[in-house]
Amino acid sequence: MTGTETTHEPEVRAIESDGAPARYARGWHCLGLEKDFADREPHQVLAFGQKLVVFAGSDGVVHVLDAFCRHMGGDLSQGTVKGDEIACPFHDWRWGGDGRCKQIPYARRVPLRARTASWPTLVQDGMLFIWNDPEGKAPPADVTIPRIPGVEDPEWTDWVWYTTVIEGANCREIVDNVVDMAHFFYVHYSFPTYFKNVFEGHTATQFMNGVGREDLVRPGSSGRKSQHATGNSSVATYHGPSFMIDDLVYHYADGVDVPSTLINCHYPIDGNSFVLQYGVIVKKLPGLADEQADAMARKMGDFIRLGFEQDVEIWRTKARIDNPLLCEEDGPVYQLRRWYEQFYVDAAEVQPEMTERFEFEIDTTRPTEAWKREVEENIAAGRTALSAARKPAGQHA
Amino acid sequence: MSLRPDNRLLDAPMQPVTCDTCQGQVEVRKSSWEQTSIQWHDDAVERCVERRAASPRPGPNGATFQGCEALRRTVATLAVGGDLDVQSEESDA
Ligand code: FES
Ligand SMILES: [Fe+2]
Ligand SMILES: [Zn+2]
Repeated sequence: MTGTETTHEPEVRAIESDGAPARYARGWHCLGLEKDFADREPHQVLAFGQKLVVFAGSDGVVHVLDAFCRHMGGDLSQGTVKGDEIACPFHDWRWGGDGRCKQIPYARRVPLRARTASWPTLVQDGMLFIWNDPEGKAPPADVTIPRIPGVEDPEWTDWVWYTTVIEGANCREIVDNVVDMAHFFYVHYSFPTYFKNVFEGHTATQFMNGVGREDLVRPGSSGRKSQHATGNSSVATYHGPSFMIDDLVYHYADGVDVPSTLINCHYPIDGNSFVLQYGVIVKKLPGLADEQADAMARKMGDFIRLGFEQDVEIWRTKARIDNPLLCEEDGPVYQLRRWYEQFYVDAAEVQPEMTERFEFEIDTTRPTEAWKREVEENIAAGRTALSAARKPAGQHA
Repeated sequence: MSLRPDNRLLDAPMQPVTCDTCQGQVEVRKSSWEQTSIQWHDDAVERCVERRAASPRPGPNGATFQGCEALRRTVATLAVGGDLDVQSEESDA
């Protein structure tokens, strides 16, 4: 900055970051499908910077405890389920789902204070949730996860479920997705044409409509034209900090609509890693055999996996950024983070602006023009979006 | 984390708008004719007639109220009449 220049060059913009938060979000977190914990074996879960043990007693009820035995620190996730209790592998102390030591086979009585941390649980629509609260309070009655109508409906498929561990990123990265319209084109191969966010209370919603991308279909691929979705309508809501339900309908060329429900949820392992899970159920088309409907759900899930795998590649190498530089066609990233902050402060410290209703509807005129052109270029060049996105190995930008 | 300001709001802040129908007070920003941001406050939400009348849409996310049409009309009228800024200039880049 010599001051001799006559042109007004803007200052170099610095990327700011305060680092990952020192605590974990308050709220319901889905640990996965309940059936995967029902085998009466102890399951180790690394979450919220701790080691937990998840087990089902003989009554079938799933419990979640801190994994470390309060006797001499044995790891209960290496123990054995005996009756309704988890037995420590070290000296066989028996811990109940309420966190109390019920029995010490070699002792005349259980000492006072023999109590460990137990986590409030919720089993709903086939999924297991636990309540995390750094203040140690019980879940408020009005903070709930809505029921999903298609679950256990014979007209819908069962869950197709995916679990993946994300290393080297804080879970805020995936929450940002809910407002990031442009990345759905570049990273998830969607083509959004309508995009609106609404934040209110502990929910954050994304209304998104899109059209099918013709550059996804390989020229000469075997699928009939009518089998490719021409569009989609989605209403996706975060219910709390980590559990999103996406009410998603695919529209097909032959006029058929296929409703589905997609779950996108995560729980933090620590400040720099998290477990991402997603699941799909699909409404069975009339005349479609169950296996075909399941295959359809699997196919949808695999397409979603493709998008998430590319998210992961981005997250692995990107910088955490608290001051993103946004253009007018970007979504409300700052307002989303203001909403997200409510889960990281004490309940008494939640400010009105964190929960007050905020609406943001993007003007998709310019993105639509640009993306149409890109799709046409891909088709003209005989590329698919997938091949266009992958640089040949070893190529330098 | 200390929350930073939206760089777009530094260039052009939100402006107060009163809904013609329910007199609820909100803040609005339009970056183009087709783009709208609305900051509601609890009292405006309580006043909103359409919201009170709305029944939940079907589906697990049906409780989310999509938006008030009366307020949308108010915003459109203000914008057309020049009483609400529309940041629609194209970039010179
Ligand atoms: S450490 Fe668990 S029983 Fe002794
Ligand atoms: Fe993404
Ligand atoms: Zn209104």
